[in-house]
Amino acid sequence: MTSTVRKFVSTRPSRRSILQGLGAAAVGITLAPRKYSAWAAEEPKLNFYNWDTYIGETTLADFKEASGIDVNMSLFATNDELFAKLRAGNPGYDVIVPGSEFVERMIQANLLEPLDHAKIPNIKNIAPEFMTDAPFDPGRKYSLPYTWLVIGIGYRKSKVKGVPDSWKWLFDSDAYKGRITVMSDASELFRNCFKYLGHSLNDASPELLKQAEELLTKQKPNIKAFHEDNGQDLLLSGEVDLAMEYNGDIAQIMKEDDDIDFVVPKEGAMRQQDTLAIPKGAPHPENALKFINFIFEPKVGAGITSTILYPSPNAAAVALMPAEYKDNPVIFPPAEVMAKCEYPNYLGPEFSQLLDEAMTRLRAS
Amino acid sequence: MATQTQERRLAFLVTALPPIAWVVAFFLAPLAIVWAYSFGQNVSLTEVDISGTFANYARALEPLYLGIFAKSIFVAGVTTLLCLVVGFPVALAIVFASERWRPWMLLLIMLPFWTNLLIRTYALMAVLRTEGYVNFTLEWFWNNASWLMTLVGLQPLGEFTPLQLLYNNFAVVVGLVYVHLPFMVLPLYAALDRLDKSLIEASLDLGAGHIRTLFSIVVPLALPGIISGIIITFVPALGAYLTPDLLGGPDSQMIANVIERQFKRANDWPFGAALSFLLMYATFIAIALRAYLGRGRLKASEF
Amino acid sequence: MSKRRAPLEYNRLWQMRAWLFAVFFFLYAPLVALIAFSFNDSRRTTVWRGFTFKYYDKLFNNDSLLTAFANSLTIAFVATLISLVIGALAAVLLWRYRFRGRALVEGTFALPLVVPEICMGVAMLLFFTRVLPWPNDLPWPLNLGSIIIAHVTFCFPFVALVVGARLASFNKEQEEAARDLGANDWQAFRDVLLPHMRPALIAGGLLAFTLSLDDFVITFFTSGPDTITFPVKVYSMVRFSVTPEVNAASTMLILLTILLMIVMMVMQSRSQRKAKG
Repeated sequence: MTSTVRKFVSTRPSRRSILQGLGAAAVGITLAPRKYSAWAAEEPKLNFYNWDTYIGETTLADFKEASGIDVNMSLFATNDELFAKLRAGNPGYDVIVPGSEFVERMIQANLLEPLDHAKIPNIKNIAPEFMTDAPFDPGRKYSLPYTWLVIGIGYRKSKVKGVPDSWKWLFDSDAYKGRITVMSDASELFRNCFKYLGHSLNDASPELLKQAEELLTKQKPNIKAFHEDNGQDLLLSGEVDLAMEYNGDIAQIMKEDDDIDFVVPKEGAMRQQDTLAIPKGAPHPENALKFINFIFEPKVGAGITSTILYPSPNAAAVALMPAEYKDNPVIFPPAEVMAKCEYPNYLGPEFSQLLDEAMTRLRAS
Repeated sequence: MATQTQERRLAFLVTALPPIAWVVAFFLAPLAIVWAYSFGQNVSLTEVDISGTFANYARALEPLYLGIFAKSIFVAGVTTLLCLVVGFPVALAIVFASERWRPWMLLLIMLPFWTNLLIRTYALMAVLRTEGYVNFTLEWFWNNASWLMTLVGLQPLGEFTPLQLLYNNFAVVVGLVYVHLPFMVLPLYAALDRLDKSLIEASLDLGAGHIRTLFSIVVPLALPGIISGIIITFVPALGAYLTPDLLGGPDSQMIANVIERQFKRANDWPFGAALSFLLMYATFIAIALRAYLGRGRLKASEF
Repeated sequence: MSKRRAPLEYNRLWQMRAWLFAVFFFLYAPLVALIAFSFNDSRRTTVWRGFTFKYYDKLFNNDSLLTAFANSLTIAFVATLISLVIGALAAVLLWRYRFRGRALVEGTFALPLVVPEICMGVAMLLFFTRVLPWPNDLPWPLNLGSIIIAHVTFCFPFVALVVGARLASFNKEQEEAARDLGANDWQAFRDVLLPHMRPALIAGGLLAFTLSLDDFVITFFTSGPDTITFPVKVYSMVRFSVTPEVNAASTMLILLTILLMIVMMVMQSRSQRKAKG
């Protein structure tokens, strides 16, 4: 029997599994995702689930040349979608790129496969602070850093007085009435507001949330839009002059319009990592490890970084980059500001519900 | 005779079985799972315990969510009405077009809708935004008018202020009409096509004007098409979430946005299921009510 | 039917023409903008920076976008065919027969129209992962099966509704006359009812095709790594920023459709001319 045939047989639902499924559906028990029987040599294939414009131009072709493995990359647009899609069972992805907050959620939900560090020798290229400072995945058992990012304010220099280096200009001022856009994601919006109010963004107190909601409700008439993920487009097209957005997204449009700049507010902000992880039930786990190891090659990392312009935790790759990247204050904001930034913890289902309700009220008010 | 009854029964079965079997296997079965979820509670990040609780419905019936329901119904209603007003003449034009032109007009209506919804919405944004084409055109006229006025010795008009056409409820309605127009035009066309034109001619011959003929002859004949058009425009408009997301302002939140958040960001599937089913129960009550009232009217007219 | 159309030439009225012009302008202005910017040498859609074909070049080298495109067309085509059959049968069933539970069946057929997309998407996700796991390594196009099933489920009620509205205007005596002349059920259906349903089948088919081709939400939840469709692909690309590459792909789609329709119409008019002798 060839491996493809065996794989087909092993993944075809048996009648028992259908009955089980029906029963499970009726009582609402989660079944373990479909199991793929392990066979000695994996077929040379890999399903990579990534964000758009988030890989080097030749990375996948280079990997194919180096290992003979074909990478089939599909795209997702938000972490929520990634989670919603994997929640019921992995439809066949081998490597995914979840944000750090979702890594914690996925570990709790038992959706990730532990990584065998022995099979990823290139871990040595990662800057050590990323291996130790990862509250969402202690010991980096399940995820390795792909890029890191920080939320701040993108702004049009000619329309804004000075440098808007405080959340005040977005959350608590009518100086730029109707020319502000903020993120529509409850966690990103409210928890950066916690920072403005002088608290940790991991402070899960309902009173603080209420205070933030009042502040934003008061500010709402000055806000032009709540954007999903396209704050940089609103800024670039002149629709707004101040946009709450990730540094990498603003760095990309700064190449096209030199009237745009970015600052991380002095109160500190939310930082994140996008990570590489293997979801439970991945059909090609060995290939996945090979691929992750390949990404951390210095040259490969540099190739990715020069395309996507996000800050890379791959120290060996950054060393290969030109000075205009290494010394770019948008990509690498000053250390004293970064020191005030925090990774968001997953604050539990009750607080998630409170956050969502606060958002619904804010939008409906 | 027996064979004829048998044949009739066979015809009934052939007609009834495929759609009913499809709906049961591929619609009711999947939906039943989500329906069960609406009576459940989250026990972990991925697991839902169907405990038979009504807590999700109780939460969905809070004034906060009812207000959003009401607003969504209003927005979808305005959208449907505009689609009907805009689309009816277009459907008439297609019906009255010559055989040669009719397929082309159908194509002309449908073509924009074979472009991806998101791309179309972004294209609409490029037209409407502050530095978009509508404002560019208006600015051009404004500046020329201003120039003409100085030419005849009047005060110039002053600085042009661009219209704020995006990120408000107006933009949401425009976007929804833009997206849903064929849902209205096609059923109207299907109902009006092969309209008995002699009826219209008779009405005109008898001295009724065009407008009167339209409302007393054409509209009643098209009524089934109008009703189905209203249903298939209103319901998807009520469930739209991408359009309000992209074109709406700070307060353009529709119920579908809230539902979407439950299934994605908030990860609260039971509550999302309850909100969805509340929407369905409401639609069903509305349809049943219409059928009931319609039956009453029918009986009244029989007497 | 009389050939005297003079009083009914509504399309000659200037009001009607102005209205049509306005509607088509509303529909096409954004598309013209889109096509124009697929040739723009900048990612920014507000500034014109010179003419370029580079995004078309990129497009034709983007295999995954082309595969997604082929998947979408295949799915839309098959789903439309199945939806037409099931939807037409559903409409005829409700229109012709009186049976126990008819109201229930009618309501159930309308239900997919009412379900919010996202809810349907999640229902399909759960169904195809837990109840009927669809093997994702079947050869193409069988691996598209789960998506096609989901699409038919939300498309066929639209067909049923449009066909039903059309059947309401059918004169049942015609069918009875056919029966009196010795036609059996099938013949009466084929020769009398089907021709009457034709415009509704065209309209319903167009609707189903449009819906299927454009669906993102439900497809997103039913697709796997090898079954990406055009909207799913475009959605994940466009959420960050509209690139001219996506505009170029849409322009190609528009041109392709126009070309296809022209070919179809030329063929049709030829066959008509032949039929007329």
